[in-house]
Amino acid sequence: VRCQLYSPQRALQVSAVLRRVSDEQKKEPLASSSQQEFDSHPTDHQPEQEPQGPRPSYTGQGGQESEDYESEEQLQHRILTAALDFVPEHGWTAEAIAEGAKTLGLSAAAAGMFHSDGSELVLHFVSQCNTKLSELLEQEQKLVQLGEAEKKPTDQFLRDAVEARLRMVIPYIENWPQAVSILLLPHNIPSSLNLLTSMIDDIWHYAGDQSTDFNWYTRRAVLTGIYNTTELVMMQDSSPDFEETWRFLENRVADAMNMGNTANQV
Amino acid sequence: GDIAFRFINYVRSMRERQLQRKLKHHQNLSWQEISESYKEDKFKSLGDSQVVVCDINKEMLKVGKQKAQHLGYSEGLSWVLGNAEELPFDDDKFDVYTIAFGIRNVTRIDLALQEAYRVLKPGGRFLCLEFSHVSNPLLSRLYDLYSFQVIPVLGEVIAGDWKSYQYLVESIRRFPPQEELKAMIEDAGFFNVDYQNLNSGIVAIHSGFKL
Repeated sequence: VRCQLYSPQRALQVSAVLRRVSDEQKKEPLASSSQQEFDSHPTDHQPEQEPQGPRPSYTGQGGQESEDYESEEQLQHRILTAALDFVPEHGWTAEAIAEGAKTLGLSAAAAGMFHSDGSELVLHFVSQCNTKLSELLEQEQKLVQLGEAEKKPTDQFLRDAVEARLRMVIPYIENWPQAVSILLLPHNIPSSLNLLTSMIDDIWHYAGDQSTDFNWYTRRAVLTGIYNTTELVMMQDSSPDFEETWRFLENRVADAMNMGNTANQV
Repeated sequence: GDIAFRFINYVRSMRERQLQRKLKHHQNLSWQEISESYKEDKFKSLGDSQVVVCDINKEMLKVGKQKAQHLGYSEGLSWVLGNAEELPFDDDKFDVYTIAFGIRNVTRIDLALQEAYRVLKPGGRFLCLEFSHVSNPLLSRLYDLYSFQVIPVLGEVIAGDWKSYQYLVESIRRFPPQEELKAMIEDAGFFNVDYQNLNSGIVAIHSGFKL
């Protein structure tokens, strides 16, 4: 299962991980595919290795002890997850992140750890949704393998997968246009593109795509197109439970299947 | 003092923005509600935000107070006499601790950093603005030339005080460079420590979080 987890901070001192524990130093793998530039991010920053040895601040920090055992990255994930509750009210902004931090007992100043335009919040949410989708598809596959469920035909499978993924956006649908615009900001494009392509890959993987030829690219392009257009339709859909959107999706998938068949016939 | 003023302005503008946003969502406000919301604004334009300005020198505090009065900042400010190495505040009190061009004058920088860590709330942010080292060799030479040849002379001509400005320039050179200060801040227990060079290193802003 390929699962792309997006980490909010680039060049994080992952060696700050597990303050109390391991003796080994871990260095953040700077995968070029998930590299991104923050415009206002401090320059001259080099990933640094944290000095070894027990941290003097372990004792006497009261309610902070729980933080001592998790890495900065995990704490940031927790803050972002908590911040999602405040998105309907504050939008995908630093204010939502600040509110999230407050619910964890941290000062609102902790939101300063993140970019001021709410980028990380959106990316975190998208990454979370993708992970959920992967888990869902994995479970479905298991059921099929155990013989407890029927294997769906490809078009049904694609429709269900895209619908499931898009439904995760529904609680935030009011602010979703803002989220999409944030994902399209130049400095976010590498990450958002990455997340999108790996999600599409996942769906095709579970759909049983074994191709190693040119079809691999066409399939992904087609599904990406279907996903993006359906997402846009959903944002403007006011029908009950988004019926129009799912009908649109059904038609697009049917079109794609037809195109594939016609191409094969030629 | 100056940072305090900027902070107050920032808080006020944020609150105004929030209020505007709230008002935008309520299309049908009665006249009474509208006038109520404007009244609130006058009395609590800062909300619960407060700024404490602390200095070891009483004269500096006096200058700060005068400036505040002159500029019209009356609410939300308190002035406290104190030593950065031993702050007269309880633990976990502040959301943000800023020190601008002050940490260079502290005898034991590590103690000041530890105190900063102590008085900050979990999640709180430490920010330090200070002279630092220029990495670019050409700029560094020009800067040195300017520092040692021009600044003390100006000091003598304008303030009649060569020695103080000589001291200033020398103390800047003796202050630890960016990476070293960053390590010191980390030693005090801060996380996510980073710095941003201004004017390619003449001044740097260091930031750390108490997590």
